[in-house]
Amino acid sequence: MKEQESVMRLCIYEDGYENLYPISYLRPVFELRCGRTLLREKIERSLGPADGCFVRDALAAAWREKLAFPVNDPSLLSGADLILVNGRAVFANVEIDRRGPEQVGMSGDEVVYARLNAATLQKLGEKTVGGILEAAAKALPARQIDVTVVKFPWDVVFANPAAIEDDFRALGATGRSGKFADGAYIYGDESQVHIADSAEVHPTAVLDTTHGPIILDEGVIVYPHTRVEGPTSVGRDTLLVGGKIREETTIGPVCRVGGEVEASIIHGYSNKYHDGFLGHAYAGEWVNLGALTTNSDLKNDYSSVSVYINGKLTDSGSMKTGAFIGDHTKTGIGTFFNTGTMVGVMCNLLGSGGPLPKFLPSFCWYFNEMIAKGTGLRSLIDTARAAMGRRGVELTDADEELMKYTYEITKEERDKLVKRDRRKLRVRR
Amino acid sequence: MATVEERIKQVVSSVLNVPEDEVKSEHSFSVDLGAESIQSVELVAAFEEEFDIDMDEDEALQVQTVGAAVDFISKVMKEQGKL
Repeated sequence: MKEQESVMRLCIYEDGYENLYPISYLRPVFELRCGRTLLREKIERSLGPADGCFVRDALAAAWREKLAFPVNDPSLLSGADLILVNGRAVFANVEIDRRGPEQVGMSGDEVVYARLNAATLQKLGEKTVGGILEAAAKALPARQIDVTVVKFPWDVVFANPAAIEDDFRALGATGRSGKFADGAYIYGDESQVHIADSAEVHPTAVLDTTHGPIILDEGVIVYPHTRVEGPTSVGRDTLLVGGKIREETTIGPVCRVGGEVEASIIHGYSNKYHDGFLGHAYAGEWVNLGALTTNSDLKNDYSSVSVYINGKLTDSGSMKTGAFIGDHTKTGIGTFFNTGTMVGVMCNLLGSGGPLPKFLPSFCWYFNEMIAKGTGLRSLIDTARAAMGRRGVELTDADEELMKYTYEITKEERDKLVKRDRRKLRVRR
Repeated sequence: MATVEERIKQVVSSVLNVPEDEVKSEHSFSVDLGAESIQSVELVAAFEEEFDIDMDEDEALQVQTVGAAVDFISKVMKEQGKL
């Protein structure tokens, strides 16, 4: 009689989230989008469904409502064989098995996974993910593997092109399905498109696959005079309303995008309807970029771009680095972002003619060259609720608590800049 | 030493570009003095800077008139040991 295979639990954990602010304030790091899919979805495609995850305590309540498996359940860390996977790992073209010998998989000095038997877990006696990983690193053999582990927001953008290609391969089905109008054109290999059954490509739209594949998910509409260059992925129910969607771009679900976008990720439920350029950037969810909002992604001297990470200017190592825009941030018409700008969550930014500062703290207003408190947290949450309601999504009590928590942890950096800029209003006597 | 009311009127004059002697206690910031939403936010910031206080934005933005601002800011100053 064949022995029953023991259970091999898969738990995804997050670490290093502070270096991924602002795009990780309101989501676990494994919910970042890279390619068509989220980092978690890639892990699950590769290793099978997850049994649980471990995130910051502040995120647990909100994400229990969104994820299909337990969040922060310590009982998952004992009683069965376990593979712990780093949620920052980009599982594209990766050969790792859920089952296998006990070992710690490393990418350089980053842990990608730790695979342990139930007996070893019991012997180690650790109760937390951090404790298990530390003990496993000492007790188990290490194996170096070729996997990207994102550390900073620009890493997600840089990993995007390969992730799109991998997601395209994983889709399997290629070619034109859906409604492809007379007068729409595929320039390049026609097998390098995936147009879902309910997607539409209108007359004069051009899909250019000469540099890579193009994915148009269910419900996508590509309106006239839109040019899409691959590799690019467009998520379900997104509308491309004219303009240039340049190569290496991912647009998530339920977005409205026009103008010019290049080598960027728009996470989902965001709008960039009008003209303006977004390049080498990551815009979160529920972002609205007003007309002519533009970011620079290349310095005039072609030197590498530095970005504020936790208050310190950090070299991205690349001369092409754009803006990183947190969830629920809105920009007014004619807002300009300098190269390597960090924008927090839930900001309200109004252009003032020149580029905005390279760091805009969460929950701030910016106008007349000044960072200000604005109308406060309550009105920002009300705006978020209204914006989500327009798309039929509820802002839950847990979501609101997470926003309030984020407001508190960003208070010090915001207050410092508000007080600094407030001096510009001193009455001259 | 200028009174709280005088200082408030100086700030209003500076932010809203209205001559100081035309700013009256009964004036509404929006209706009489022409403050739009951004300028209301700017006024709150300017008052905080002038009086070195920290105001709750929700409460501050409920204040409609110059006179009410005098009362509100005086209250906040007392609470924060500035008066």
